[in-house]
Amino acid sequence: MNKGKLISIEGIDGSGRTIHSQDLKRYLEGQGYGVLAFGLQMSRLIGERITKMKKDMIFRRRTLFLSYVTDLADQMELSIRYGVESGFMAIADGYTLSLKTWGATRGLEDSWMSDVLSILPEPDIRVVLVSSPEEIMRRLISKRGFLDPLEAGMDVLTKGDVYESYRNYINVFQNTIKTSFPKEKQITTDNNFEDVRLELIRYVESKLEA
Amino acid sequence: MKGKLFAFEGMDGSGKSSQSALLRDWIAQSRDVHLTEWNSSEWVHDIIKESKKKELLTPITFSLIHATDFCDRYEKFVLPLMRIGYVVIADRYIYTAYARDKARGVDSKWIKQLYSFAAKPDITFYIRVKPEVAYNRIKSQRQQINPQESGHDIFPELDQKNGFLKYQSMILETYDEIAEENNFVIIDGTRTPREVQMEIRSSIRGIL
Repeated sequence: MNKGKLISIEGIDGSGRTIHSQDLKRYLEGQGYGVLAFGLQMSRLIGERITKMKKDMIFRRRTLFLSYVTDLADQMELSIRYGVESGFMAIADGYTLSLKTWGATRGLEDSWMSDVLSILPEPDIRVVLVSSPEEIMRRLISKRGFLDPLEAGMDVLTKGDVYESYRNYINVFQNTIKTSFPKEKQITTDNNFEDVRLELIRYVESKLEA
Repeated sequence: MKGKLFAFEGMDGSGKSSQSALLRDWIAQSRDVHLTEWNSSEWVHDIIKESKKKELLTPITFSLIHATDFCDRYEKFVLPLMRIGYVVIADRYIYTAYARDKARGVDSKWIKQLYSFAAKPDITFYIRVKPEVAYNRIKSQRQQINPQESGHDIFPELDQKNGFLKYQSMILETYDEIAEENNFVIIDGTRTPREVQMEIRSSIRGIL
């Protein structure tokens, strides 16, 4: 039996990760593939607890990082690894690269993070989604109604009001992700949804054919 | 760092929890002291307990979730308290993970990297007993050996006693292997609790 592929969609919250991984899932299913969805904070073991505890742990960054790794490993070990082995496509809504960038923006050592994450398989296909800070904030506001200071990376950079802080954080996060992983495929999601969608699908298709 | 860190290692039933509590009480007479126990982080330990009971953990997630628990206590208590000048006593430290994760087949090099952020203790006391001694000790105190102590997840086919002896022998083997490179102070745990405690106190006197 042919093995499936592990596809990771990476980027900051609001970069379009979730919507585009869901769309890619539907597209691939339409092409006849079996598709598994997983991603950051989605494990049964610890996903919900992280959401609940995050506010209390903003300065325990290493702990938070390790809990995210535990969260991904649980999904990988219990279903994704076997799924991919047996022919499924698995799409991660946030995977190791988003996590490493999160840690790097908070001062965690790159080599330590790489060592710890070496326990998870490298994706076969990886796409980094980026967008302008204004667009990202617009999306977050339309989703939640406001800019959550915690999500804004307030623990990293406090600069003026929530808007300025968020803007600053998004710039730092996205510069880190762009400069740390220059070879990865990047797609800008500022364009209209359909264009982004087609660019992503074309890229994944080209990889699947290769 | 201003504080001091003393770690206790040893198999279940070696007496290290009693010894660390005794040491804590003694040090508390003259200095600020904090005792931290394995698997006791406020927000992780119940997940660990529950998932062990339901057998949801694989060797890797077993390893990672214990590292998360450790790190939570490390960042919340151990590190800041040591900076302030506390004496921190750890009832089990990273070497417990070395031994337990290795027994579950996790790569030793990776486990070391995973815990490389943790400060080396000023002294690690390794309370050494043979598995048979530990087994008899636990049985004299309570009816049951619990599944964690008998490595039930790795040896589900063995009964409590044989599981305990086999699992704890593996733990003992790793401790013995790593004792030298990590400068363990090896304490003969078969003596009376008081004798053991006096030896521990005399070895930290110079440091405090």
